[in-house]
Amino acid sequence: MLTINRACRAAILALIIIAGLSAPSYARENTGDLTSLSLEALMDLPVYGASRFEQKASEAPSSVSIVTSDEIKKYGYRTIADILRSIRGFYVTYDRNYNYIGVRGFNRPGDYNTRILLLVDGHRMNDNLFNQASVGTDFPLDVDLIGRIEIIRGPGSSLYGDNAFFAIINIVTRGGSDLKGLEISGSLASHDTHSGGLNWGKRFSDDLNLILSSSVMDSKGRKRLFFQEFKDPAFNNGVAEDSDYDRSYSFFAKLSFNEITIEGAYASRKKGIPTAPFGTVFNEPGNQTTDIRGFMDLKFRHTFENRLEAAARVYYDYYNYHGDYVYDFADPLNPLQRLINKDIGEGRWWGGEVLLTRNLSERHRISAGIELRNNEKQLQHTYYESPYLNIFEDNRHSTIWSLYLQDEFHVSDKLILNGGVRYDHYKTFGGTTNPRLAMIYNPHANMTFKLLYGEAFRAPNAYELYYDAVEIGQKSNPGLKPEKIRTYELVYEQYHGKQFRSSVTGFIYKIDNLISQTIDSSDGLLFFENKEDVKARGVEFELEGQWTSGLRGKISYAFVKTEDLQTGEEMSNSPRHLAKLNILLPLLGDKIFLGLEEQYGSRRKTLSGDDAKAIYVTNVTLFAKNIIKSLEVSGSIYNLFDYTYGDPGAEEHLQDIIEQDGRSFRLKLAYAF
Amino acid sequence: MKTAASGIVSAILALFLSFPAIRAYAEPGPFDEYAVKAAFLYNFAKFVEWPPSSFKDSHAQLIIYIIGIDPFGDKLDVLADKTVSGRKLLIRRVAAYDDLGKCHILFISRSEKDQLGNILKAIKNRNVLTVSELNNFCSSGGIINLFLEGDRVRFEINQRAAERAGLKISSHLLNLAKVYREEK
Repeated sequence: MLTINRACRAAILALIIIAGLSAPSYARENTGDLTSLSLEALMDLPVYGASRFEQKASEAPSSVSIVTSDEIKKYGYRTIADILRSIRGFYVTYDRNYNYIGVRGFNRPGDYNTRILLLVDGHRMNDNLFNQASVGTDFPLDVDLIGRIEIIRGPGSSLYGDNAFFAIINIVTRGGSDLKGLEISGSLASHDTHSGGLNWGKRFSDDLNLILSSSVMDSKGRKRLFFQEFKDPAFNNGVAEDSDYDRSYSFFAKLSFNEITIEGAYASRKKGIPTAPFGTVFNEPGNQTTDIRGFMDLKFRHTFENRLEAAARVYYDYYNYHGDYVYDFADPLNPLQRLINKDIGEGRWWGGEVLLTRNLSERHRISAGIELRNNEKQLQHTYYESPYLNIFEDNRHSTIWSLYLQDEFHVSDKLILNGGVRYDHYKTFGGTTNPRLAMIYNPHANMTFKLLYGEAFRAPNAYELYYDAVEIGQKSNPGLKPEKIRTYELVYEQYHGKQFRSSVTGFIYKIDNLISQTIDSSDGLLFFENKEDVKARGVEFELEGQWTSGLRGKISYAFVKTEDLQTGEEMSNSPRHLAKLNILLPLLGDKIFLGLEEQYGSRRKTLSGDDAKAIYVTNVTLFAKNIIKSLEVSGSIYNLFDYTYGDPGAEEHLQDIIEQDGRSFRLKLAYAF
Repeated sequence: MKTAASGIVSAILALFLSFPAIRAYAEPGPFDEYAVKAAFLYNFAKFVEWPPSSFKDSHAQLIIYIIGIDPFGDKLDVLADKTVSGRKLLIRRVAAYDDLGKCHILFISRSEKDQLGNILKAIKNRNVLTVSELNNFCSSGGIINLFLEGDRVRFEINQRAAERAGLKISSHLLNLAKVYREEK
């Protein structure tokens, strides 16, 4: 293995050096006369310029990052989690089952991304049991289908309500006009991972667009995973074998007709859990979770003569979670018998939303909206299969209704005031009102200051409120209150010529009643509690650059200090320093690119109070297209230098630190017919 | 897994080593956004029909105005010696709104975003093809909006706005555009 390591390192270093030397001379700037080209040809030319940084982002009342489909390909991103790791102030924890997003120092144990609102084309993806935002292999769309991802920092409850606590991630799927015909892709990766995708799009007329997509992935995972905590002959010396498998499939369809868009997805993922959480049997491939998600969403948009814009949406969602947890202490008469604990969650919900926007004048725009969401099924059921023994069953339904108002006023050419407020009504705890205020000042065209104040809430979810299975170590807390955040943020964005954009952001977050997973010392049971009041202060810097040669890059640094106001201690899993570097180097015109990523995260406190050591990860991707017409090839090496590191575990884990993957590979081919 | 891993490494190496051979066939690299957009402007001139009354005579120039901070720089220079249906192109950067109606194509810079309503009012009922790159351009009554989808230039057409301006847009152009529908 050592020789392969060395050879590989040497090859990559050589590649980087030679790429660096050769790029400038071959990536020519093209500014000449293009008028002889047909419109079709012009539409096919890749361009670089100032407006790639969308005007919209600098006017948004928050600090926004955007990742495009082009970057997804060229950096070899496999999942949303991969993308988020490259984003300023974000980090991701993986426990070999789900990915957990950390934002600006917050990544709480037992939190299934409930403080992030995940949207697909504006459709809410967080489910109605765990409020989980799935960003790993359980995300129900093929990444090839993503047109762009908008990462909007700060509280968004004033517009979106629940879960828009730390950030909103909006995934915009590709349009029918850029998917011309059939695209087929396949990839081969480390740990016996195979995947394939089929995307088809057609524009039948100006008004009618159709996209159909499906994908499948099968990974055997790490054949052997060693966990120090189980190092005992009784537990196979701490080695979990064949327990890291990951299988998924997905379907997606989108039909646009005139002002109507209908889209839907159905996806399933099954993941082996090699960590033996919740006191399950170690080295037992039978421990697994399956997550199934489906939704249908119908959108309608209409602009009336008098400049009144109306947007309406109706949707239906389905979520099914099915966990198998294998125990060997369940039957006192038969101590070695392995029994499967079936943990089921099933959610069904539907809802609708109407948003009216009107320009009162050239400078004044006001919108008002109403939303209704009906959780018609929120079922949680836990039992042993054979012999059947029921442990816990709880079925609920609930309704949430909301009203919101947004106002954008251009006081002058240089000053925009933007405010919003939303009221959400819950049956459980009543109402919550969350406002937001932004002042956006452009002293001149290249410079923007934003002064932002926002509040957001997160309602306790059905799992935190009602899950009650004392036999397997967890109890309910129906008295949970919503948690609340108040944030102050100052953003300074500046364009330097056409090449650079920089931003500096400073923020203060104050959270009351943070819901945290805890162990009750009186009975040893896990439960959720409105435990901490927390304060966080931080500052972030970012510089993005792009040149006409196609060379692009960004570098960012984020500092945050979190503090539990009761204990005065820093939060767990909260790195003080995050630094990232992304470079996209054109090696040969617009045909071959080298994507290089460097990610650093400082040490993080674990639940036991120890430190998980700092992270240094390097990823490289070599991407080539049109070497053979219509063919795209990419080869990626993740964690190039095979750096050994781990992410903090949660309360359900015996592992204080869960080791992450070393160097791994992927080769991907995509062909468009 | 070792074999697969080294296989991938050698595949990448092979790709890398084959560069010199590929280079000979390389097309030019990425393009300046505004050089491409300038070529789009030229094509719009080609595929839009103005009423004869908007020209003094059959040899009169086709006039293009740029209002606001000019994003093209020297990229528009290539249009200066071009002709469209026998008419020479004339390009002018303007600041005042009063005689905007004299041009055939009006490119409205992003810098004029807040003045968009006033500009469109100033050329109401004139035979002017308005082109811009603002999100809400077509919904505000503008005719052609250039936008980026990923790193490709796309355009959106408000056909009713074109009709109001007395312009005929060729079906070729409409076929390639995203069509913005305005209500009657």
